[in-house]
Amino acid sequence: MKIGGAYTLAVPQQRAYSLLQDPDVLAQCMPGCDHLTRIADNEYEMKMKMAISAVQGLFTGTVRIADSHPPSSFRLIVEGSGKVGFMKGDGLLTLMPEAASTEVRYEGDVQVGGLIAGVGKRLIDVTARLLIKRFFEKLAEQIALQPAP
Amino acid sequence: MISQSFEYSAPRTLAEALALLAGGDAKVLAGGMSLIPMMKLRLAAPGRLVDLSRVPGLTGIREQGGALHIGAMTTHYEVESSAVLRAKCPLLAETASAIGDVQVRNMGTIGGSAAHADPAADYPAALLAVEAKVTLARKGGERTLAFSDFLIDTFTTALEPGEILTGVIVPVEPAGAGVSYQKMLQPASGFAIVGVAARVHNGSVRIGVTGLSGKAFRAAAAEKIFAETRDVQKAAAAVPLGVEANSDIHASADYRRHVAAVYAARALNAALSRAS
Amino acid sequence: MATTITKPDTLVGKRIKRKEDPRLITGTATYVDDIQMPGMHHACILRSPHAAARIRSINTHAAAGHPGVVAVFTGADVAGVGPVPCGASLPGLRVPHHSILAKDRVYFVGHPVAVVVARDRYIATDALDLIEVDYDVLPAVADPEKALAPGAPAVHPEWPDNIAFTYHQEGGEPDKAFAEAEVVVKQRITSQRLIPTAMETRGVVAEHRAGQLTIWSSTQIPHLMRTLVAMMLGVPENLLRVVTPEVGGGFGSKLNVYAEEALMGFVAMKIGKPVKWIESRRENYLCTIHGRGHVDYYEIAARKDGTVLGLKLKLIQDLGAYHQLLTPAIPTLSVLMMPGLYRFRNVSADIIGAFTNCVPTDAYRGAGRPEATHGVERMMDLLAVELKADPAEIRLKNFIGADEFPYATATGLSYDSGDYAKPLKKALDIVDYHHLRQEQARAKAAGRLMGVGLSTYGEICAFGPSPATPAGGWESATVKVEPTGKVTVMTGASPHGQGEETTFAQIAADELGVTMDDVTVIHGDTAVVQYGIGTFGSRGTAVGGPALYFAIQELKKKIVKFGAMLLDSDDVSFSGGLCVCNKSGKTVPLAAIAGASYRAMKLPAGEQPGMMATYFWEPPNFAFPFGAHIAVTEIDRDTGQVAIKRYVAVDDCGKIINPLLVDGQVHGGVVQGIGQALYEQAVYDDNGQLLTGELTDYAIPKASMVPWIESSHTETPSPVNPLGVKGVGEAGTIGCSPAVVNSVVDALSHLGVRHIDMPLTPERIWKLISAGGRA
Ligand SMILES: Cc1cc2nc3c(=O)[nH]c(=O)nc-3n(C[C@H](O)[C@H](O)[C@H](O)COP(=O)(O)OP(=O)(O)OC[C@H]3O[C@@H](n4cnc5c(N)ncnc54)[C@H](O)[C@@H]3O)c2cc1C
Repeated sequence: MKIGGAYTLAVPQQRAYSLLQDPDVLAQCMPGCDHLTRIADNEYEMKMKMAISAVQGLFTGTVRIADSHPPSSFRLIVEGSGKVGFMKGDGLLTLMPEAASTEVRYEGDVQVGGLIAGVGKRLIDVTARLLIKRFFEKLAEQIALQPAP
Repeated sequence: MISQSFEYSAPRTLAEALALLAGGDAKVLAGGMSLIPMMKLRLAAPGRLVDLSRVPGLTGIREQGGALHIGAMTTHYEVESSAVLRAKCPLLAETASAIGDVQVRNMGTIGGSAAHADPAADYPAALLAVEAKVTLARKGGERTLAFSDFLIDTFTTALEPGEILTGVIVPVEPAGAGVSYQKMLQPASGFAIVGVAARVHNGSVRIGVTGLSGKAFRAAAAEKIFAETRDVQKAAAAVPLGVEANSDIHASADYRRHVAAVYAARALNAALSRAS
Repeated sequence: MATTITKPDTLVGKRIKRKEDPRLITGTATYVDDIQMPGMHHACILRSPHAAARIRSINTHAAAGHPGVVAVFTGADVAGVGPVPCGASLPGLRVPHHSILAKDRVYFVGHPVAVVVARDRYIATDALDLIEVDYDVLPAVADPEKALAPGAPAVHPEWPDNIAFTYHQEGGEPDKAFAEAEVVVKQRITSQRLIPTAMETRGVVAEHRAGQLTIWSSTQIPHLMRTLVAMMLGVPENLLRVVTPEVGGGFGSKLNVYAEEALMGFVAMKIGKPVKWIESRRENYLCTIHGRGHVDYYEIAARKDGTVLGLKLKLIQDLGAYHQLLTPAIPTLSVLMMPGLYRFRNVSADIIGAFTNCVPTDAYRGAGRPEATHGVERMMDLLAVELKADPAEIRLKNFIGADEFPYATATGLSYDSGDYAKPLKKALDIVDYHHLRQEQARAKAAGRLMGVGLSTYGEICAFGPSPATPAGGWESATVKVEPTGKVTVMTGASPHGQGEETTFAQIAADELGVTMDDVTVIHGDTAVVQYGIGTFGSRGTAVGGPALYFAIQELKKKIVKFGAMLLDSDDVSFSGGLCVCNKSGKTVPLAAIAGASYRAMKLPAGEQPGMMATYFWEPPNFAFPFGAHIAVTEIDRDTGQVAIKRYVAVDDCGKIINPLLVDGQVHGGVVQGIGQALYEQAVYDDNGQLLTGELTDYAIPKASMVPWIESSHTETPSPVNPLGVKGVGEAGTIGCSPAVVNSVVDALSHLGVRHIDMPLTPERIWKLISAGGRA
């Protein structure tokens, strides 16, 4: 499934870029994720508790950052699996400077398998968008909370 | 498939129900038409179900102060067949009749549908178009919210953990109002690919749309165009504009947008023909 | 002068309600899941979530230790069990080893990996979650054309081209015909993957007691299954009993031997307790065979006057990852039937069987013939459009004539009997074709999209002569008159909803002069019923019926001998349930004759006591039903939604034994045909995940989505059997889909639409309308 979209963050490009590379920030913004544990350079182990409507699933997996071109682009690869299935998201994030803010464009592919692919198909697309939206909303909150260094 | 084991309680009072919901991973069980299938597939595994079917005061439709109070546990069939609603809030009755099949309508409840906030559910379109309110009970209190504030996003509402939706309040339609709900069915599930609820009165229109995007919404721009131009086609064409449309194996985003405009025109025309 | 012909009042030919229905509609029938036994355990199966992966390791420790779990088995444990059998043979066919549980690799989503056996089903399901499988996920391919492309992932590493077989057949001089043709029309036509969706999913109960293994299974072929499962398990066949209780629909999906049937036998023998496995709907969609899965490239050659000369077909069959019982044979049936009802003297066909990382395809209602019919009926319409000819005229011009039977086709078949113009003319009359076309012209002028679609189908059924059927194509029947005169029929065909308990009772009652209530039809238990082949390929009545007829004729000889003895006469005849002495007029009723045969105080010379006969009937040929279906559709121009305004089906299945049951078969068949035409499709994503994994996404037609079906008949008896019957189980499905698609294409043809692949979803049609509108 292809995904794509854009969000505007109220910080300059360089700052947006470093926020998006910060595992603590990522952990706080990824819905249901408490923390990321570093396992290699640019690779983290994640535990994510998803709760959407009555559906609850614990996913374990990895978050990886690749093809970094600071401050303008990088790839974010999230892989996770749990009882309800598995998913892999691979997205290219491009940061476009816009005066004092930054437009983050994302474009990528989400693969899901197992139970959720077969029975929850109707909801995967909307759910993926919801999660991405929550991610950027959280990120915006974070930005609002922490004054620029 | 079969569900994981869980505790089941059937409280006899609202207070008891609220107390049971307070601890752990409990879930309200209403008609079970959305919850039970998820449990059987093991997508959901609540530790406890709190069945509201024996809590008094949660069913039935009563008129009070120009508004109709519909208990959360009122089934789709009861809404569809209620003489009071047919006369005084026909949009809701018409919408209920478009939900699923007879078995689903006999079990599913208006509260369950509202609380579940499925992006393809039918009721939300109508509840937005009639500017419904919902009442929510929690330990020691109750609050009333506009449905438009209650519905936050895909499967996401303003219900706090431990809160119970107790009822839906809809205004009595004034004489001369015309309404219509038009739905394109997804042939496998019967859910809406797109559903449009229209309500016209004195030349102004309210349009609720479901199925098109992650959550049901009021097509404000279209409503405005209609108020200014009285042009059904122009207004309908504006319904999908700027909407991030859903896409799945049953309908692409482009097609959904197109159908939303077509069905909006149909709903508007039907509502206009019934208005006076 | 008017003559009155007094027709004997027979039960055959009457609309009689089904004997089996009261128990089915009152919930008193027994299905596999209704079987309860003391000490019964429950099995659940862990299935692969990946379409292709190596299994690095499986850890069953936690599951095995879960309270209530008695055993967990994996591929290593069942290494001694033989592979799931493929009954079809083709030259050069590659047959992957199909073990009942995955060994070190999985090939499709749903592939069984381990089985948990527990005290109850809840515990077994819980324990599934405790099994840890370490998969090394591999690239997968889910589309047959992609599988054949260079560089595609290999489904089976030993065959990197993903080709299971190629097959060529031709008749006449196809190249010459195409060279000489004045018109050649080409089209790619697909028949999408479908999920059979029997209301009852599969289920197996197995018990091993005192050296005997008994397997209850929801199957269409109890005897074949017994033979094959006995071989898989290494159990003597005479110590294996297979019982088929009520079967809630098969449609070909239970014409198979599945891993779970042997697996439950294995489990029962291991744990020494009865075990039950009931397939969930999700498993049913993932692991029970699918149907169709064709990509066909057709070419038709003709003269300008509409005379057809030749037909060419390149057929790509999506086989899935394995061969189930008949998987590779199904597309060969399409080739046999590709000429349809027309005088195609020159044909050529090439099949490529492609492996994909999907569940195997196999026989689904019509099995190969709906695909063929869809192809040739679409091509006839395309030719008509090309020549600006009327689709009815072009069919009538090319039909094999009523005087040409038996007719040898270019694909090597001998059509038994037919009068193809008859049902078409009848259907045209029913819809009032001439006026309908006028109405269509008016609709078009008014901007409405109305279409009329014809399908004149022919099919091959009554499978079949044994040389042409993998496991024997005969059928068996035993008929007994019990000492009290009641009649018991045992049929080797294992009917499962078709209604032979009724039709066979009609036949037996007529022949023996008893009432239908006096006849009981027994089937589906290998310990009770003589060996039989089963019900599939519209053969139950067409092959099982004659077997019964001949068994009764044998029995009648005996009845007459005992009658003669009791009447002390050498000139007796038997009719109406009585033996009559043709000289004295004295009679003796059947019950008395039967009673005497069992008491055996005296026996006719050379006769054995008892009153029973068994007959194994080998059919000399297939039977070839035919018919004409017409669909009138109207399309919502704004959304592309199709409404079927009228559906007329005129079917000729030979002699009709019970019109009510024939209508029922046609109705059900047409509904499944409409399902394929408009709604159904098994969708796998590029990674081999089945996206239509539940009924919420796989759209079978609901009652509210089905039009009124106007069903009527012509009756052209088959010379192949003494009853004159053909078969009707699949006719509706075979005839339907091209009628609907031709109708929709007809409605859109003035917009430049030539062809649409199924399912005709509103979006597909809307896109064509939008594009045509621009063009
Ligand atoms: C085959 C089928 C077809 C369907 N087709 C349609 C359709 O066409 N259109 C449509 O709109 N819907 C359809 N539905 C869904 C149906 O309308 C459900 O009844 C409805 O969505 C949920 O209502 P329920 O009473 O069954 O809720 P439940 O399934 O019991 O509960 C749903 C969720 O809401 C929560 N909940 C329920 N009641 C309350 C409450 N009072 N307070 C707080 N939380 C609560 C539950 O905890 C649960 O999380 C279909 C369902 C099925 C099975």
